[in-house]
Amino acid sequence: MASANPGTETTNESSSSNEPRIEPLRMPSMEEIRAQDIWNNCAVRSVASGVMGGGLGLFMGLFLGALENPIMQDEMTAKQQFIYTAKQMGRRSWGSAKAFAVMGLIFSAAECVVEKARAKHDMTNTVVAGCATGGAMSAKGGPKAACAGCAGFAAFSVLIEKFLDRHS
Amino acid sequence: MAANNSQPTGIDKEQAFGMAETEMEYRVELFNRLAQTCFNKCVDKRYKEAELNMGENSCIDRCVSKYWQF
Repeated sequence: MASANPGTETTNESSSSNEPRIEPLRMPSMEEIRAQDIWNNCAVRSVASGVMGGGLGLFMGLFLGALENPIMQDEMTAKQQFIYTAKQMGRRSWGSAKAFAVMGLIFSAAECVVEKARAKHDMTNTVVAGCATGGAMSAKGGPKAACAGCAGFAAFSVLIEKFLDRHS
Repeated sequence: MAANNSQPTGIDKEQAFGMAETEMEYRVELFNRLAQTCFNKCVDKRYKEAELNMGENSCIDRCVSKYWQF
């Protein structure tokens, strides 16, 4: 709070060594304000989430692709099996990277827009964003699939949010 | 109707200082009340993190634009 007499240092010098000093208020600098403004932008946030989702999908695809066994295992030599597995890993990782990137982008964009419009930090934002993401991803299967995807992904994101909140 | 030099038409230094001081006190009081009102309205009392999240930021923007008189 601003005051006409700035400075809240204690005048008692002998007690200042025992008690913790009250630091005066530090206003944020222009760089901090600009950084906060950039991070509050919905487009920047959703692109960053998309990139993180893509990275996550890449690793997941690599891991899942490595587990897959070639079909004609008896006929191939070890080198051929290795090449086949590597190709599978690359294909899987690229596909899942795209899917996860789109998922992260849509979820982050929806949550950001809803939270800015409502001006509240709630679980409702997560539910709406999850529904939008699930519905968008399952939209190809028709309206029923979109509804099921919406409900499922909303429930999933609420669970994740509750899990994250408990530990923070 | 000659202008009397002992009473100038403009305000003198003392009055200017007094007015500036009153204005400053008014501004400080306005800012304090603004900060308290918008904090009570916008920020959830159970602090989960140190930074203001996006919902609180936009709430504070709206509150200040309603309250502040330039």
